[in-house]
Amino acid sequence: MSTRGFDAGRAAYYTLNGAILVFLLAPIAIVAVFAVNPTPYISFPPVGVTLRWFDKFFATEDFMVSLWLSLRVAVVVLLLSMMIGGACALALVRGRLPGARILTAFFMSPLMLPAILTGLALFQVFQLAEVGRPVWGLIVGHTLVAVPYVLRTTLAVLANFDMRIEEAAASLGASQTRVFFEITLPLIRPGIIAGGIFAFIVSFDQFPISLFLVPPKGETLPVVLFNYMKFDLDGAIAAASMVSILLALSVVLLLERVIGLKAYVKL
Amino acid sequence: MTHFHHLTRRGALKAGAGATAAAIVGAPAILHAQTATLKITTWGGKWGEVMKGEVLPAFEKEFKCTVSADQAFPYVPKLQASPKSNPVYDVLHTNSNEQWNCVELGLVEAKLDHKKIPNIADVYPYAISDKIVGVSIFTSAIGLGYRTDKGLKKPTSWKDLADPALAGMRGGYIIPVNSLGQAHLMMLGKVYGKGFTDLDAAYKALEALKPIKLVDFTGQMEKMLLSGEVSMGVIHDSGIYRYDGQNQPIDFAIPSEGVLALEQVLNVTPGSKVKELAYAYINYMLRPDVQKKLSETVWYSPSNRKVNLDAKYDARLFNTEAKVAQLIQPDWKWYNARKEEIDLKVTRLLKG
Repeated sequence: MSTRGFDAGRAAYYTLNGAILVFLLAPIAIVAVFAVNPTPYISFPPVGVTLRWFDKFFATEDFMVSLWLSLRVAVVVLLLSMMIGGACALALVRGRLPGARILTAFFMSPLMLPAILTGLALFQVFQLAEVGRPVWGLIVGHTLVAVPYVLRTTLAVLANFDMRIEEAAASLGASQTRVFFEITLPLIRPGIIAGGIFAFIVSFDQFPISLFLVPPKGETLPVVLFNYMKFDLDGAIAAASMVSILLALSVVLLLERVIGLKAYVKL
Repeated sequence: MTHFHHLTRRGALKAGAGATAAAIVGAPAILHAQTATLKITTWGGKWGEVMKGEVLPAFEKEFKCTVSADQAFPYVPKLQASPKSNPVYDVLHTNSNEQWNCVELGLVEAKLDHKKIPNIADVYPYAISDKIVGVSIFTSAIGLGYRTDKGLKKPTSWKDLADPALAGMRGGYIIPVNSLGQAHLMMLGKVYGKGFTDLDAAYKALEALKPIKLVDFTGQMEKMLLSGEVSMGVIHDSGIYRYDGQNQPIDFAIPSEGVLALEQVLNVTPGSKVKELAYAYINYMLRPDVQKKLSETVWYSPSNRKVNLDAKYDARLFNTEAKVAQLIQPDWKWYNARKEEIDLKVTRLLKG
């Protein structure tokens, strides 16, 4: 009979993983504590448990309007970036475009620029074009930074794409359109959807671009929270953060339930 | 088991296109009203609530116009990025220091046409002094907030903040980003040196305040005082008085050397296409009934002498000639000209 002794390597492995988890989750835990603490400021240990900040969040019209707007914008951005990012990735890999690598870098460039500058630049363009600050402008701004996520994940799928499947379908008489919809699209779908989830979250949490592009009475939730914090820093901010986290989580879980994300985790 | 991925391709495409269209159509549309639109900036919080709920709708009704009130910072970069001939705002509401930056950049009028603002005849001199670009519609007083339950004596001087017993329990601001911190720095020059422009004395006094807890918003200072994280801090009177009646152990002290004015300034943009309306708005904001409403909502001292405040506000706000005489207006033109150099120095001093 053999007993396993103390395994220092395994212990270090678990300790490191535990530390990383604490590092990642501690801010959420602090926000959660602040959200249910009755005092209008962060205090530790908490003096009790209350849902008054959630009540305040849901009863405040500004929060509700902005939450609803953020959700609608994020859904549109998700759809647009999946379409644009997916199409771009296909064109870059299949289109035999001259300078495809440079074009890839170009499409990824919104991620390299500080988002606040992208927001300021778009704001300036809209002002010069005298279109004001329309909601579609906000959607354009968010889509600009969301597309690279879909592009990158779709490119990753296309890199491992077995083109012989398409060739086989074509040789059996399938038209190009049929090959695209029945072979190509289902096979690159994991990349597009994985990128789309990032796009949704990037848009829903987007602050620096929104800061310049939101119109009066049309602020998104992150902008409303920032402004609220300057004047009324209380637990409603934490309640709003918890609701945001739960919403983002719900979207991921919903997608998992609807389209089965487990199949795509290898991405 | 049924899953969505069993849907037909056509159905999925239709659903996607439908969802996109629905979301775009459902998004709030910009109203292209026939009436004139006045574009302004305004604060959030309680101020924003009353403005949006009462003050602005009444203005719209009276002047048959629409007001587009931007509550999302940052205002000056947005104004800077918009064409001067068609600015994003017609009336800019900021604190005084930012108005001085704006006038240097040609973003606001250097001098308002007082003939178009009849109520300006009733304002205290500080509201249109040479330290102001535009007109100050309200002011707060920057002094010392303190905890009343920590056995502290009510501060009587700015020097009380340097009491060694307050080490680590005093609060200040990240000076490069907060005008209260900047005003306090100038006050340190006056209290410890030859005057408001004595930066060497101010730096020395600032360093002596270490260890000090620094924040960037006044709202955070309020919370630090409420939670007891600091026992004394630099703050404006409205940041303390707004908790009146909530049984909080905090109070505001007016140091003997005077309090610094934190003015709420309105100014018109030169390229505004609705200048008459912009002036009418400024005049409206100076009207006694509007001033009273806002003063008693957010504890700002009104600029108009003719405002009759209710007793509890009257007792504390700066609304008489004698009280107003205690207000010191910082020279923001002087400060802004040296801001970069000051920012570098104070950041080094307060590092860590």
